[in-house]
Amino acid sequence: MTAVAGRYVGQSVKRREDARLVTGHGRFVEDVAWPGTLHVAFLRSPIARGRIVNLDVSAALAVPGVHSVLTAADLNEHAREWWQNMIGKDAPMPPKRLLAEHDVRFVGEAIAMVLATSRYVAEDGVELIDVDFEAETPVLVERAGFEGVAADDANLVHPEWGSNVAQALPGPMGPGMPLDNPALEAVLASAAHVVTETFTQHRYLCVPMESQGINVRWDRHRERLEIVSATQSPHEVRSCAARLIGINDSQVHVVADDVGGGFGQKMFPATEELAVIMAAYRLGAALRWIEDRNENLIAGGHARNEDLTMTVATDESGKILGVRAHHREDIGAFPAYAVGSSASSVGMYLPGPYGFGEYFFSSEAVFTNTCGRVAYRGPWMMESVAREQMMDVTALAIGMDPLEFRRRNVVTPDQLPFTTSTGLVYETVTPQATLEQAAEMVGYDAFRAEQAEARTHGRLLGIGLSSYIEPSVGFGIMGAEQVDLRIDYDGSVVATTGSGSHGQSVETTLSQVIAETLGVDIDKVVFTQGDTAVAPFGSGTGGSRTAAVYGGAAREASVLLRNKVLAIAAEVLEASSDDLDMDLGVVAVRGNPGATISLADVAAVAYAGYTILPESIEPGLDVSFRIRAPMFMFSNATHAAVVEVDPVTGAVKVLRYLVSEDCGNMINPMVVEGQIAGGVVQGIGGVFYENFVYDADGNPLTTTFLDYLLPTAAEVPTIEYGHIVTPSPTPGGFKPIGEGGAINSPAALINAVRDALTPFGARVVSQPLGPQQIVDLIKGPASSAESI
Amino acid sequence: MKPAPFDYLAPTSLADAVEALGSYGADAKVLAGGQSLVPVMAMRMSRFDHLIDLNRIPELDFVRHEAADVVIGAMTRESRVGSDPTIAENVPLLTDATQYIGHFQIRNRGTLGGSLAHADPAAEYPAVAMALDATMHLVGPDGSRSVSPEEFFLGPMTCCAEDEELLHSVSFPVWGPGSGFSVQEFARRAGDFATAGVAVGIRVADGVVDKAAIAFFGMASAPVRARELEIELVGQKAMDLDFQEVGNQAVAHLQPPDDIHASSSLRRQIGAQLASRALSTAVKEAT
Repeated sequence: MTAVAGRYVGQSVKRREDARLVTGHGRFVEDVAWPGTLHVAFLRSPIARGRIVNLDVSAALAVPGVHSVLTAADLNEHAREWWQNMIGKDAPMPPKRLLAEHDVRFVGEAIAMVLATSRYVAEDGVELIDVDFEAETPVLVERAGFEGVAADDANLVHPEWGSNVAQALPGPMGPGMPLDNPALEAVLASAAHVVTETFTQHRYLCVPMESQGINVRWDRHRERLEIVSATQSPHEVRSCAARLIGINDSQVHVVADDVGGGFGQKMFPATEELAVIMAAYRLGAALRWIEDRNENLIAGGHARNEDLTMTVATDESGKILGVRAHHREDIGAFPAYAVGSSASSVGMYLPGPYGFGEYFFSSEAVFTNTCGRVAYRGPWMMESVAREQMMDVTALAIGMDPLEFRRRNVVTPDQLPFTTSTGLVYETVTPQATLEQAAEMVGYDAFRAEQAEARTHGRLLGIGLSSYIEPSVGFGIMGAEQVDLRIDYDGSVVATTGSGSHGQSVETTLSQVIAETLGVDIDKVVFTQGDTAVAPFGSGTGGSRTAAVYGGAAREASVLLRNKVLAIAAEVLEASSDDLDMDLGVVAVRGNPGATISLADVAAVAYAGYTILPESIEPGLDVSFRIRAPMFMFSNATHAAVVEVDPVTGAVKVLRYLVSEDCGNMINPMVVEGQIAGGVVQGIGGVFYENFVYDADGNPLTTTFLDYLLPTAAEVPTIEYGHIVTPSPTPGGFKPIGEGGAINSPAALINAVRDALTPFGARVVSQPLGPQQIVDLIKGPASSAESI
Repeated sequence: MKPAPFDYLAPTSLADAVEALGSYGADAKVLAGGQSLVPVMAMRMSRFDHLIDLNRIPELDFVRHEAADVVIGAMTRESRVGSDPTIAENVPLLTDATQYIGHFQIRNRGTLGGSLAHADPAAEYPAVAMALDATMHLVGPDGSRSVSPEEFFLGPMTCCAEDEELLHSVSFPVWGPGSGFSVQEFARRAGDFATAGVAVGIRVADGVVDKAAIAFFGMASAPVRARELEIELVGQKAMDLDFQEVGNQAVAHLQPPDDIHASSSLRRQIGAQLASRALSTAVKEAT
């Protein structure tokens, strides 16, 4: 494969979505209004753990406009099956329930739902529900520490599970991982340098601009369930709804029009959404629930919130000989899928762009009485957060510059195909190239001189690097996406697929691939996604697969359709199809400018004039292609951040941020850069601003945007980009890029802060790095030095 | 996040508004720009039977230069306060402060009077009013009264207006030639309420400070003046001031609040730097 830059592919084509979105004509879940819809509001638990000793809804029912109030007794027993396509039915799962029954397990758990003529009235009803609890000791890392939670057999988040430990690796639930690695122990015992550090990242959240929400109605006469949902995956919603209530997939019609962000939170229907689905089915009603921001923050699913301890052994020259790692996660009470642990991915991806030599990974995940873990852009990204900090910490410990330490360990082109310590095989990655490009762009060597000069004036400048390999999985239902493509009678091209764009510009990029490959004007491509009535089965948009998997399928479908168009045109033009070209919807014989036929005329032959075609050419102009993606696809990037720390206020200003990446052929460079930028902003948010805090009783303290601080445009620098283009072997040569900005930015930023604080010997191993934490880091070692 | 039920009134004259307040008193709440009130209503943290909307009363929206004061109506939008040439020329501290208030969408709705009556200790306008010794004019069914900022701001989110009273307007004294002003603020993000902030005015005659005002916000339960220090500054040569030292002195007596964003001591540390920077800027402007 070689790099391409065609009429559309490789060009920064303006987004087809934008005209409607920027003029306020997007159609989001809340824009859908069905007649007679009842609005749902939930009564939520105000305590982290306790028994429900009284639940009386009679006063709520008396409110004019309240239609009904449902509790666990009305809904829970009717739930048939509850699992996700993407996870499978056999994955271990903690108990699940539509509404809290007998007890509550985190602040925000839904206990009852009020159905009323408006959300206002529904909330009036919620206020009047009489509920009493017998509070129990909450199980919290904030209260008992991680070990305390894991060892506590007296207080269990889920008594049904029998332990607060949700998963431990290696162990019986692990994917065939070895139980130990004696060779690593030998390396650690004999290596020239052995460095150990623990890195923690706090709880921060997806926070899509549009919260979750759903419209559901059950038509008992047609036996059909209609759903409009803010989802990343309409078919996942369809399957979950069908199996929950025990009807066929084909009886459920799910539509997701415009969706305002998801970042993983909308991969699977929320418990509240399933409760609304069940209620609509039981009552034969049209229901709507639009999650408000407070609900989204306290109960919409949480993320990150983990630590990772690494021990790295190197030889005298700084070559890594072995790595031991232990990962711990607090996954809350009801994680969104399976047991919610990302550990097996963290362990698998931890080596990233380096040779690790001997390796051993272990992990433990605990349930707590907090909001459950949900996927968030790079759910396994602790591997990059910890590894890239460890590269800097190790370099510092052995007296080497972090860039030089990376140079000595990064995978080089002559090592390809490279098999990692965990058995992954890299074929087309270029981590050395992006490392060098980033170092060149940021002016690494010149910066060191500038930094030294600035320090003499009391200015604290720092630089941070972070490299990673971005994986995307292509197995299970995520590896086989289909694109249906047809040319209508008028010559327009209609593409339909199971993607679920929620801001990724899929409408534009897949249309580019189709228009380019087919040879038509992009304006002739009508692209439809997010509708299970017309789309082939798909797994939606998530996991950084849309360009590589859907894009590959779109390209192959386009090749099939183009071949058919040319075969028909060849009959009409009495030429060999090998001598034909199609450009902007006109088929022409090479070297004979007069011999042309338009796509509309080809369509007319295909649908009506097919009698002139030989038997070997079927009438019609429609094709389908379902791709079989490689099990793993990889891109790579290096991020570089330059920051200045104000020692008085503790403020950190990001002076420069740049990204050198290799995502193979770029369908649309503007979209690639947009994906990276969005992710980097989430990293800036996570490192410096966003922090979801619980107190020692399990009460959330950051329940509005007044306290949960998102970065705004004012906090974000202009991001600079460098592109290395090494196509993948998949159709089109595209690679995953959607999650990398969020995965790789935290470590670059943290490393830059650590570098800036080097004069103070500050141990920078956790976030957020807000003004208070920065000032404490500066004061910490200084005050202890004074006391010596 | 939907408010509890309430009756809505939208009087079109001050007299009607005052009459409505007089009859409902403690059962009523006044709506100005709504930038703080509406969110707390949505969270049902503020409940009342009657909402009296002042947005249709033109007589509360004005900027007038009267004698030695600029008088501003309570319903004057922050965006107008920030761009009004009369204010910029005569009360530049208000103009300077406005840029720090939220974002432009917020300033387009938010009002001078709303911000003052809301009395958020981390808000900018209360500190400006305090620094400039403004006069707050209240009106109620029993007539009008005027109070000083010290009398007006009672504590966090609390002002001296009685249940039946509303803030009508505020008089800001014009300091005249030889004056310099500066607002300095530190916030977690652009547009946030201040972690710490300070509003400073300095007047210099013949190289000597003859008037000084330093008012902090976000540093106490209400805006707070550094009065003793101000007295010390008067009579000193402007060029001889050690701004860093003055900044440190300005915060020495303060006990700022602790919260999840900053400790008391960090606020004091930041406040000293801001005061130093504000004094330096104001002196430069004055001389």
